Amino acid sequence: MPKPLFENELRERLLRAGVAPRHVRRYLTELTDHFADLKAEEERAGRSPADAESAALIRLGSMDELAQAMTEEHQFRSWCIRAPWAIFGLAPVCLLAGAYLIACYILWSGWKIFLPGTDSPFIPIHGLAVFYFGVGRLLYFSAPIFVGWIIALVAARQRLNPIWPSAGLTLIAVMGATAQVHTNSPTVSGGPGHVIMDFTLGSSLQGNLLHALTILSLTMLPYLIWRFRKGHSISA
Amino acid sequence: MSIRETNPNFMNGVPELLILRLLQQQEMYGYEIVQAIRSRSAEAIAIGEGVVYPVLHGLERDGALKSRRKIVNGRSRIYYSVTRAGSRRLADLSQSWTNLTASIQKMLRGGQYAKATL
Repeated sequence: MPKPLFENELRERLLRAGVAPRHVRRYLTELTDHFADLKAEEERAGRSPADAESAALIRLGSMDELAQAMTEEHQFRSWCIRAPWAIFGLAPVCLLAGAYLIACYILWSGWKIFLPGTDSPFIPIHGLAVFYFGVGRLLYFSAPIFVGWIIALVAARQRLNPIWPSAGLTLIAVMGATAQVHTNSPTVSGGPGHVIMDFTLGSSLQGNLLHALTILSLTMLPYLIWRFRKGHSISA
Repeated sequence: MSIRETNPNFMNGVPELLILRLLQQQEMYGYEIVQAIRSRSAEAIAIGEGVVYPVLHGLERDGALKSRRKIVNGRSRIYYSVTRAGSRRLADLSQSWTNLTASIQKMLRGGQYAKATL
């Protein structure tokens, strides 16, 4: 079914007004179906396709009416608008913490399985251990970037202004750059050691800064490009 | 003097009441609902037809309606029907409106001190 002309404009208005994307999607789907029914009805009444389309649009309601009916209902508001601190602060921190927890568990369990009796898991490894530890390492290094992409995606879907997403991306970049993993030797001979994680500035402040900027640019850049293209397509 | 409660949904409740009443008889999709309102009110109630959907979605979110997708003539439709909570809400709304219209009728006929119970 061809999309009616009002769809894009209404979508942008609703998203920018803070209506949750899932409610916008459903509203537009039903409006599009309704519009098709109205148009068919008008054509059956003898109008030309162009006249039927105009009449159907009038019956459906003006852009202001359609948008206002949805935006004045606070229950359809997105959580990005209701609690941006939770969506762009708390949730990404929890996600990143969860990913780091899994990465640390992989390191600890790999140490126990493949390197029992050694003082540290950070020694040359071979065979299956390379793959096992590699998964943990990949998760550890890529988690801030993935979490940043999620923030950018959520912000882009909701057409948010960049303040909260930027704050969230900066927080994740700082966490990613300052995360440090340490291990303690086993206290009992042959037993497992401890894996400890903290967030501190390492020996090189410049290194931390470079790491943070790398994460920030990898996550912020796609978001900024999207914003630029969206702004360009709207003004065009 | 006691403070009387007012009903902020004095007019906003009209589409809700009509929709619940229609859907209690049979399940319908949005276009059908609007056409039924138009025909049964002899076109006295005229609204932008699209604004019916936020009302439907709100009622569904409140648990007064439930919806399901159904393929009709090759097109996917979202059909709405009333839940038990919706039936209770309809009964409450109907009672309020019956009282209100009775009071207004009374006032229009000259009973100045008629008491509206919303």
